[in-house]
Amino acid sequence: MLDDVRVLEVSAPETMLAGRILADLGADVVVVEPAAGSPGRRLAPFLDDKPGLERSLTWQALNYNKRGITLELSTPDGKALMRDLATKFDVVIETAAEGGRSVLDTIELLPRVIRCTIAPFSRTGPKSGYAATDFTVMAASGAPAMTGDLDRPPLFFPVPQAMMEAGADAAIATLAGLIARDRDGLGQRAEVSARIAAMMGSFGQAIVPGSGNPEGKRTQGAMTIAGVQVPSVYNCADGFTLITIGFGPVFGQMTQRLAKWAADEGCMDQRIADISWPSFISDLSARKTSPSDLQALVDGLKSLARSKTKAELAESSRRLGLLSSPVMNMKDVAEYVQYRERGLFARVNVDAGREIDAPARFAQFSNYSIEIKRPAPKLSEHSAEIFEAELGLSKTEIQALFVAGEI
Amino acid sequence: MAPPLDGVHVLDLSWVMVGPASGRYLADLGADVIKVESSKRIDPVRTLGPFKDGKTGPERSLSYHNLNAGKRCVAIDIRAPEGREIVLRLADWADVVLESFTPGVLETLHLGYSDLSRRNERIIMASTSLFGQTGPYAQGTSGVGTMGAAMSGATYQIGWPDREPAGPFGPWTDAVTPRFIVASILAALHRRLRTGMGSYIDAAQAEAGIQFMMPSYYEYAANGTIPERRGVAGSPLHVPQGLFRCAGEDRWMAIDASDPTDWHALRGLIGDQLRDAKFDTIVGRLRNRAELEATIASWTREQEPDAIEHRLQAAGVPAHIVSRSGDFARDVHLCEAGHLNKMIDPVFGEAEIEGPRFSLDRTSLPPTRRGPRIGEHTKEVLATVLGMSELEIAQLSEAGLLA
Repeated sequence: MLDDVRVLEVSAPETMLAGRILADLGADVVVVEPAAGSPGRRLAPFLDDKPGLERSLTWQALNYNKRGITLELSTPDGKALMRDLATKFDVVIETAAEGGRSVLDTIELLPRVIRCTIAPFSRTGPKSGYAATDFTVMAASGAPAMTGDLDRPPLFFPVPQAMMEAGADAAIATLAGLIARDRDGLGQRAEVSARIAAMMGSFGQAIVPGSGNPEGKRTQGAMTIAGVQVPSVYNCADGFTLITIGFGPVFGQMTQRLAKWAADEGCMDQRIADISWPSFISDLSARKTSPSDLQALVDGLKSLARSKTKAELAESSRRLGLLSSPVMNMKDVAEYVQYRERGLFARVNVDAGREIDAPARFAQFSNYSIEIKRPAPKLSEHSAEIFEAELGLSKTEIQALFVAGEI
Repeated sequence: MAPPLDGVHVLDLSWVMVGPASGRYLADLGADVIKVESSKRIDPVRTLGPFKDGKTGPERSLSYHNLNAGKRCVAIDIRAPEGREIVLRLADWADVVLESFTPGVLETLHLGYSDLSRRNERIIMASTSLFGQTGPYAQGTSGVGTMGAAMSGATYQIGWPDREPAGPFGPWTDAVTPRFIVASILAALHRRLRTGMGSYIDAAQAEAGIQFMMPSYYEYAANGTIPERRGVAGSPLHVPQGLFRCAGEDRWMAIDASDPTDWHALRGLIGDQLRDAKFDTIVGRLRNRAELEATIASWTREQEPDAIEHRLQAAGVPAHIVSRSGDFARDVHLCEAGHLNKMIDPVFGEAEIEGPRFSLDRTSLPPTRRGPRIGEHTKEVLATVLGMSELEIAQLSEAGLLA
């Protein structure tokens, strides 16, 4: 879909998903790395737990479908080459350092180029000078404060997330710039704040103060209803299952079916299954039901879950239309028949002679298909090819640049 | 200059979060987004807080406003033949259609992609659901973002090893999936401009979630290791990196001084307690992590979080308070960026909603407006978009089809 679009990605952790989304959608994406390699190559985990510039699995997962060159952007030679190279591209994606500066500030770009800059907070303003890492930006997103148990510190994702949030929004901002250019031929500068992007996962924590409501507290996904702790994750025979208990006309019906099933399985008193769960909350205020009924429901579900495997619970959940699903680990994800048969995965090389199935197809299209056309580039893999094809440099000139440490 | 999607028409048949949030991105970019809702079957997100001043009511949900800012809303019963006809005519007007029905439902209403594209071949339609439209478990399966999180491998890995998984906050994939939908729609719009081709886009929320978990997925797929819950925040390969308790109730400072330069800055700031030679090197810091982090914790424990953040930042150490909702209202970054926008609702008065998540410097984005009330624009849309007469509208209204 983007096969007429060419993207230069000045590689940083935050640009990686942006470039890959555009590449997956058909753009020709070239990552630009310093001679020592992009910081993204030093992100864990590593292939066989052994570090190396070609062994970062995070790098591999977020850079397939791209080509890669090395170029030192701080030197006069590097700047001149970058300026010439950028004339052949439609989009440049980069990150801003502390203080909002970036290497492209000193490189003149054509008016038709869309330049997308990702900053931890913003390029200008009070926190533009903040020292930041993925971890501290996530802290500022509002989500961790609400994640986990109140008797312990907040929880974070086990893999960097600000770079994912920022990268995904940068793909959107870039495409928005592209659509605007389709109209009038002019590029522009887009800016993405990684912090604001990551706030998407806080589900509106920022609007709570203006709503006149008190702050929420983290509750391990458990709701407290009428003094009863209603968990969302339950132990089952071989792991964990998620069960959401809802009320009201839509979600309450699911709870009703869930309770009936638990009673049918002998895990709950029939009387509890017969309660009208859609109207439970209003019945509670009318004292037609009591918190102990809800406690009995929760206890029954705990007993039901313990007696079943993840797969059994998932099968019944589908059959009965429940808001319940297995809590999958990555092995479960890799093996899940729904993902496999739908065609989520595509093969990709991770090392000489080693391929894995990557969950490549983030969406499916009636007249396009996301494919993995090439694995993530090795360091400088396409430097010679691109400098020759795009800038007409000779073999001698390219070798001279390498000898001088520019590429 | 006009915003990027000026003149682009979007018919938003979706509800709850993923679809509406996708539509909101398009509204932020200047598209004219018409949401179809019905007071007989309201968007369930209207039952979700925060409610203005804590008082519940379908027109008081600020989550609704945050997800539907800038849209217009028509109230119609799409299951009635007349209602369906209105949807078809709006789909003829639309460049983009969004929907999040349980897979199979729209087809039974004869409003699926094949029905709409037969009339409007340039249409770009995006469907979103837990599993997508294809695969053995897709048809008839509905789900929510907590289920998407559980099935993308995220929930399993977020929690304490000695407890059940806690999972991420909220219906996590509802925040992830819109990004992939919107990027796909924009790419399809770009292609359509060159080729005239429309497209059908089918996004599965559980699958989209895996994208943000790719490093973990690869760890299993390539190394055979199933990543487990670690609990404590901070990577085992980065030290010091973690959360440190500050003065006040449940106040935490995230500090990441794992880079040697940042470490020296932190050591210079805290001083004597960190001078021990065993902290000189990365290996030394890794081996003495518990003692090192306990020392930092004793330094932060009695200090106010804002004061510590300023001191750490003044020294150049990456640090930020673990922001809670109350912090956002006075956050200097968000205030300066104008991210929180005042909205005035005719019923409940003032509140705040979030602005767009990025900016463009030439084709500016439209000001953030509140979300619509149920059916607020029904008559306006039927008259101006579909060219219906007052009489026709009145007849539909009397028949109870416009509520």
